[in-house]
Amino acid sequence: MIWPAFKLSLLVVTVATVLIGVVGTGLGYVLAKRQFRAKELCDAILTLPMVLPPTVTGYYLILLFGRRGWIGRYIYSLTGWSLAFTWQGAVVAAGAMALPIMVKSARAALESVDARYEMVSFSLGKSELETFFRVTLPLAMRGLVAGIVLSFARALGEFGATLMLAGNIPGKTQTMPLAIFEAFISGEDRQAQVLALILTFASVATIYLTNILTRSQRSA
Amino acid sequence: MLRVDLKKQFKTNGRVTFTLDVNFSVQQGIAVLFGPSGSGKTTILRSIAGIEVPDEGRIELSNQVYFDSAAGINLPMQKRRIGFVFQDYLLFPHLTALENVGYGIKSSNGTERRYRAGQILKMLGIAGVGDRYPRQLSGGEQQRVALARALASDPAVVLLDEPLSALDISTRLRLLEEIVDVQRKSAIPFVYVTHSPADAVRAGDSALILDSGRIIQEGKPSEVFNAPRSSAVSRAVGSENVLAGTVHDHNKREGISVINLAGCQLVIPYVVLPKTTPVIIGIRSDDIIVSRERIGQTSARNLLQATIKQVVRDGQEVDLLTACGVDLKVRITAQALDALDLQPGTKVYLLIKASSCHLLS
Repeated sequence: MIWPAFKLSLLVVTVATVLIGVVGTGLGYVLAKRQFRAKELCDAILTLPMVLPPTVTGYYLILLFGRRGWIGRYIYSLTGWSLAFTWQGAVVAAGAMALPIMVKSARAALESVDARYEMVSFSLGKSELETFFRVTLPLAMRGLVAGIVLSFARALGEFGATLMLAGNIPGKTQTMPLAIFEAFISGEDRQAQVLALILTFASVATIYLTNILTRSQRSA
Repeated sequence: MLRVDLKKQFKTNGRVTFTLDVNFSVQQGIAVLFGPSGSGKTTILRSIAGIEVPDEGRIELSNQVYFDSAAGINLPMQKRRIGFVFQDYLLFPHLTALENVGYGIKSSNGTERRYRAGQILKMLGIAGVGDRYPRQLSGGEQQRVALARALASDPAVVLLDEPLSALDISTRLRLLEEIVDVQRKSAIPFVYVTHSPADAVRAGDSALILDSGRIIQEGKPSEVFNAPRSSAVSRAVGSENVLAGTVHDHNKREGISVINLAGCQLVIPYVVLPKTTPVIIGIRSDDIIVSRERIGQTSARNLLQATIKQVVRDGQEVDLLTACGVDLKVRITAQALDALDLQPGTKVYLLIKASSCHLLS
């Protein structure tokens, strides 16, 4: 029970972190550098999973991605496959829950880059895309990495939304937090303890790493 | 050849608080934009660069239209061939000096980019700092790298926004000479924003004096600063005495007029104005000679007895604030100050050539 849950958690969280690292940075860039009318509304909607009960977020994800969901029905009619009760579903659930942290961190990190550096880059003939990769991204890297580390930790601890969308199928969608719950319910305290220790250690390491990344003044 | 014709209004709470309305061209050399802060100098530079969009007008560089409100043209910054040098350098902190300079070089060959960046650093006398990061460079070195970076992108004009104001005086002077030198070598026009009259006179081939969003005088810097045509220009260029008086008498045959100031008289070149006409006279503070003795035989038509009220030192330069019925500031060197032992309360004679006194307004 421990090993499959550990392997699955690692897979789900790694995929989810890579996805939201990219998507969150992109959304954070738009929120940081672009001016549009519904900007703060967009920010609020993206932040929603942070304040909603995870089960509510999970419920919405089912509405979106379930077999008869708004998006899910098209996926199902095209492929005969549904996100529900798959490890990919666990990725989506973990990703949705961790995305707000990534977007918030990315927006703050990208806003802290003096816009005049980007102006200089434009004046030297560089496009916005090239400026992003060669100036903005390197100068915001520290904050972005801190955001990624925090998102990783948040995704690792995901429980409620995962349970709703992906279920709790041992070896298939049962991540570590779900395995702890099941072990505890069925009286297997030993297993619950080991899993709890692993997650605690991972969390301490995350906070430690984030603090180092955000405190040090030397630029990346 | 840079042609600029632009209008832009700035509003606060719907009311127009500032209007920029200028029209000028720069053929060659260094054009100085001079004026008090808030006069619109930086806005002009930013409009040329494409950072700011004028309400109307036309900006053209080397026969390429950058902006034309009538034709609906507004070239993005990336497409304008400008090199911008900022007061606070804005070197990319995550790149070395060489990488900063190489950043804008349009060549896909990395070796060639590094070679050309190195050549430009060498031209500016800082070939040795290529491997250092901006935080490891002095202010003067950072500004040289910033200038090198601007030049490396092959611009058709270089815009400098108070590039020396963050530097100490000796670095300023040296760097100013280098900027002039680089301009001569590169043969592209420079537009140089400054609020230092000394920098303007020293570096400028032409000067545009701005006040409240308008060009109030343009010409050779020495001419503009030594012979301001209006009291607004004189006040904008600073270091100038602006004296109010009335016409007292004329001697047309000898080519002089006499002006009554508040407490003394001034002999100036002959002016065709009726007696008692109010006039404003400008005398540059460094056109006045200070003597401790009364000198009899000189060509200076004005010999005024004055008392030093205050001595204001600014590095090697000294302003004597004197009183001879009216207040007059006199620019001398620190050496003259020491040699003549000038102090507040010292009685001195001021020698002023008639031709150093010019009529403003």
